Amino acid sequence: MNAVTSARPVSDVAHATCLGIADLSARARAGAKGPGTAAWLAGLGLPLPARPNSWLALPEGGLIARLGNTEYLIEGNAALVESVLRAPRAAGVYPVLRQDAAFALCGSRVNELLLQVCNVDFRCLAADPALVLLTSMAGVGVTVLRSGDIANPVFRLWCDGTYGHYLATTLLEIAGELGGGGIAPDLLP
Amino acid sequence: MKIMTCPINGPRPVSEFFYWGEMRPMPDPDTCSDDAWADYVFNRNGAPGVKKEWWCHTASNTWFVAVRDTEKDQVLRTYLYGEQP
Repeated sequence: MNAVTSARPVSDVAHATCLGIADLSARARAGAKGPGTAAWLAGLGLPLPARPNSWLALPEGGLIARLGNTEYLIEGNAALVESVLRAPRAAGVYPVLRQDAAFALCGSRVNELLLQVCNVDFRCLAADPALVLLTSMAGVGVTVLRSGDIANPVFRLWCDGTYGHYLATTLLEIAGELGGGGIAPDLLP
Repeated sequence: MKIMTCPINGPRPVSEFFYWGEMRPMPDPDTCSDDAWADYVFNRNGAPGVKKEWWCHTASNTWFVAVRDTEKDQVLRTYLYGEQP
């Protein structure tokens, strides 16, 4: 890319305010499930969400989400994820291959987009920001959580990687109709 | 929209769920009679009534038991296998 033309397009900043979709699929992540997983992750020094379908921000950056009773998703800090992937597994711990497509949605009109593609009213996440929702969006099974503050929520979204292109195309098409579009991850609030 | 309550994920539209048939306890093949075993393998009970069924919340792959009145199509209870109904 030419350095002269690498300045950020003005439209990206506008999208981030109105309705921006960032692709975070390249972030490092690890997954594990099984009855021994909670004790194993605690032994690695990770904080654990207390109830099923909730998440915690990690002090090193990134997050840990508890999906169901005994499955965990760790995402963010590459060194931390690598250490989890390399740690010898204990009894009752099974690795989960996380090749998800991951997105982040932000902007003032984000709820209008979500209402069009999902049965769940994501405004319920404002009352309980620690909640993780596993639901179906545009026909694809997704994991959704809300980060960011009340005024500028960011919805994180994970789905099976093979559905990534379909889901991204679908969301971007609706975002385009609402005056938004794709943005770079560093523009997220 | 029909709503079903997943024991872990809460109330969700029924389109997120998958039905896997009636819960049928398996007789011990070593001790039961041939008739009882053949009945278990080949016969299904289609009569309407209150039945325990396997259901799965596909978005989270949560398998659970639903107690459903198949005559009125009303879900009376849902619980995880191994928990008290």
